[in-house]
Amino acid sequence: MTLPIPDFILLNKGPLVFLGVSFLKVCVVFGAVMGFAALLTLAERKVSALMQDRVGPNRASVFGFALGGLFHPAADGLKLIFKEDFVPRWGDKFLFTLAPLLALFPVLLLFAALPFGNYIDIAGLRINLQIADFNLGVLFILAVSSLAIYGAFLSGWASRNNFALLGSLRAAAQMISYEVALGLTLVGVLMVYGTASLQDIAQAQGELLFGWLPAWGIVYQPFAFLLFLAAAQAENKRTPFDVVEGESEIIGYFLEYSSMRFASFMFSEFIEIIVISMLAATLFFGGWQVPYLQASGFVFPWGTEIPLNHYLVVLLQVGSISVKTVFFSWLLLVIRWTVPRFRFDQVMTLCWKGLLPLALLNILVTGVLIWWLA
Amino acid sequence: MIRIKKVDNRPLTLLERLYFTEVAAGMLVTLRHFFRNLFKPSNIVTVSYPEERLPLPGNARLRTRHRLKVRADGTPKCVACYMCQTACPAYCIDITAAEYNDGNPAEKYPRGFDIDLSRCVMCGMCVEACPEDAIAMDTGDIPGGALTREELMMDKRELLRNLPGEPSLLGASTRLHNEWDRKVKKK
Amino acid sequence: MKLKIDGKETEVKPGTSILGAAQAMGVLIPRYCYHPSLSVSGNCRMCLVEIEGAPKLVTACSTPCAEGMSVLTASEKARAARRDVLEFLLINHPLDCPICDQAGECGLQDYYMEHGLHKSRFPQTDKVRRHKRRDIGKHLVLDNERCILCTRCVRFCEEITKTDELCVRERGDHSYIDLKPGARLDNDYSLNIADLCPVGAFTSADFRFRQRVWFLQRTPSVCAGCATGCPLEVHHKDNVVYRLMPRPVEGFPPWLCDEGRMTYKSLRAPGRPAAAFCEEGNLKPAAGLRFAASRLGKLKPEQVAIFGSPFMSLEDNLALAELAAALGTKNFCLHFNTEPGIKDGILMNTDHSPNSRGLALIHAVYGGYTREQFSERLASGEVKFILGRNEEVKAALNAARTDIPSSVFSFSDEPAPGRACVLPAAGHFESDCLFINYAGRLRRARAAVKAPEGVLPVWQAADRIASMLGAPIRLETRAAVLERIKAKIPELADAPLADDTAEFYLK
Repeated sequence: MTLPIPDFILLNKGPLVFLGVSFLKVCVVFGAVMGFAALLTLAERKVSALMQDRVGPNRASVFGFALGGLFHPAADGLKLIFKEDFVPRWGDKFLFTLAPLLALFPVLLLFAALPFGNYIDIAGLRINLQIADFNLGVLFILAVSSLAIYGAFLSGWASRNNFALLGSLRAAAQMISYEVALGLTLVGVLMVYGTASLQDIAQAQGELLFGWLPAWGIVYQPFAFLLFLAAAQAENKRTPFDVVEGESEIIGYFLEYSSMRFASFMFSEFIEIIVISMLAATLFFGGWQVPYLQASGFVFPWGTEIPLNHYLVVLLQVGSISVKTVFFSWLLLVIRWTVPRFRFDQVMTLCWKGLLPLALLNILVTGVLIWWLA
Repeated sequence: MIRIKKVDNRPLTLLERLYFTEVAAGMLVTLRHFFRNLFKPSNIVTVSYPEERLPLPGNARLRTRHRLKVRADGTPKCVACYMCQTACPAYCIDITAAEYNDGNPAEKYPRGFDIDLSRCVMCGMCVEACPEDAIAMDTGDIPGGALTREELMMDKRELLRNLPGEPSLLGASTRLHNEWDRKVKKK
Repeated sequence: MKLKIDGKETEVKPGTSILGAAQAMGVLIPRYCYHPSLSVSGNCRMCLVEIEGAPKLVTACSTPCAEGMSVLTASEKARAARRDVLEFLLINHPLDCPICDQAGECGLQDYYMEHGLHKSRFPQTDKVRRHKRRDIGKHLVLDNERCILCTRCVRFCEEITKTDELCVRERGDHSYIDLKPGARLDNDYSLNIADLCPVGAFTSADFRFRQRVWFLQRTPSVCAGCATGCPLEVHHKDNVVYRLMPRPVEGFPPWLCDEGRMTYKSLRAPGRPAAAFCEEGNLKPAAGLRFAASRLGKLKPEQVAIFGSPFMSLEDNLALAELAAALGTKNFCLHFNTEPGIKDGILMNTDHSPNSRGLALIHAVYGGYTREQFSERLASGEVKFILGRNEEVKAALNAARTDIPSSVFSFSDEPAPGRACVLPAAGHFESDCLFINYAGRLRRARAAVKAPEGVLPVWQAADRIASMLGAPIRLETRAAVLERIKAKIPELADAPLADDTAEFYLK
């Protein structure tokens, strides 16, 4: 694996600087992701409430201030910590402990490959705004996210509960199936940009088509975006594809889990929403790109130029990816509270008979178009 | 009235089978609610119960928290006959009887009258059973949440709280008491 | 003598009243003034029946049966007559059932539901007003308004107690029950009048407003107030005894003396111990037993004395006798001097202990000292520790003019100063037990309420102490105790000890 240039420069300054800067980036991203995921648990309840003409949670208060329910994530966390930590007597205790970790950590690991900006020059260093720039970033994401299947499957197996086991069988079948469809929907994007590095894809989307249209993935691959959204929602096991656990009605793989073990399953689900949103933004909506924003400032197609400070540009770029992520997270919540649940056979039919052939067709058409245009 | 709603069970059209358009149509509905409630929260139907209350329909169909009625001179009309305790299907009433020592011909009064609202099923049998018209469920209070069980235990003092005395001719003991009261006041 | 009642043939002895003959057939004719233990008065007119061929209805209680008679107890005419009688009775009845203790066991309520169900034709305000809530004696409250003038109470005082305190004053519509001049209704059986009264005119001052009768559960038991051992019914609710009522049993008059009715009060007496009061302080009952056992274990057998009591049941005394035998001490007394007999011609006995005959049976089998010899043993100074019932240990020590450390079983609030250990014990309302009354009749008491937590009957406590001392007497269950009684006492070898209904007399 060759390191891209900014990190290469960093490495030349010595391994300590490289490690320090990387550690700082990990901390910032980890903090931002965990904070956002916590807010997302509240957002899910607030958004669903507004969609259903309700108020939503607004009771948890500190010193009499409820702030529209802002303390509910903290209250939920406190409650979950103090709940009984239950382990089934005949279950496999080691795997039972391992499963929630296996569900949570691969999802967190994904943020290593997701760029949240171009680069920043600070104290003589040029720092790439991405934790690790792989040139096979898309493959890395597909590979690591498929590790999360172990979490779902082991939890059902280790619980030694027939219902949990059936739930985890459904989860494994669904996740493996949609893994295939998800991978194939992304192939079109990779073909268009000719790279699998997410940073390179983001950078490539800064160019303009016909001199005025930002060359975002949605422009090249609108159909793949829809397929991606469906496959990713299914991969995340959320409504309408939540037949594997089905919160209140169906019994799922984390049936025997309580306390923070259960919380880590739920939390990984919310973090996955952020991953999907960020991935969708990066692949199809220009990532950290702001239309017409170059490294020096805005350059509009009609010739106007607004020079901007470097730090302002970085701020705009980070703000851009953040806004896009928030938007897609919200969109996923809205979808989750709009669409009713599929039956399990419908879930599998949609994958193998719907998404998969369509994704292949998309690849074929993309290939033909590239060949024809070349 | 029986209404008949015809369900259209035609097969789905191609556009509907594609699903994405239908999802979009569904999302239009939910998004309309979302944005309307976001910018105009007055449309939200939720009532934040303990702080906000809907006005109750004030008619005889309504059974709310109990109260004990009092006579014109402020003594409770209840004579501790235990009929409500006997009729109560939820075993939530607990009475302790005592005797008047001041010559009151009603003889008996409740020294303790406890209603456990956490057990009460609001059936109104106590009101039906009362031979002295002494208990009523017309306070307009709907017993609801409490943080401790003790808060849902109502004793005699709470049941008799802030109510005016009312002259009544119902009930033999009340009649006896009223005669005696007039006699005492004449002297 | 043969006659027909409601079309069914029956045969009775000459002189039987129609009411008695019908009752023998299971036909209950309503009545207020009639009571099987009192003379027939025939004034309430509730028991009117039709005799075929007779022009008028007759009172069933006062009309003797005649050969070939055909009685209709529920004919249209008889029912109409009863309804009218009831309506007359209710004209002046105050209808203060909510404050009346009789409600629930009231003749007026019962028969109104059965025969009346009419609307009142008289305004409430026109009712005749009389004295209410009259204090006429220690135990009773009289309400003249509720009275229907059946005169059961007057007849009871004339015929049973022969004290004659009550009379009917005035005439006709004005008549009412009153005390004779200068008298107060303070005889020893006055509370029976509250039972006799078919309405709420006489109510018990002790039970007044304490509980409603329909809540009460009933447990058959016997009175332990004296050697007569009258059968009674314990009325209790939620582990609290509220009153004792006579239980009708063949061969016993259906009365109870006032003293016997008050015996339940010791159960809830405020001074009654529910914990063991020991030299070490207050212990839980089980720890108190351990303390008593440890004191006993430090002494030689001949230094320990065990004291049976005629106030404790057969089981308790047997267990104490077995304990004495297991310890190997000769210092035990299962003897009681008594000359039982009915002292007032009704029920009350000269002997106040319920089980002197039972104690004598055990004394005959196990031996031991007589009371006089035991007193001498105590005075001799060899005895270092006594185990027995509180009151009797106190009396014995007073008689011997000594003070010896002792463990006493306490059933009541009787104070026990200066004892090494006071052990709470379950009384006869709290455990199943047996007595033998002065006439040699086996009396069985059923546990009506639960003893306070950890408090055991004496036989069980004795068994625990014996086990702790390493000399087990194997009386863990009541079945084992009954087996032991049958095995050891020849007089009771074939007695139906566990059967509640069978009667048994000593030979």
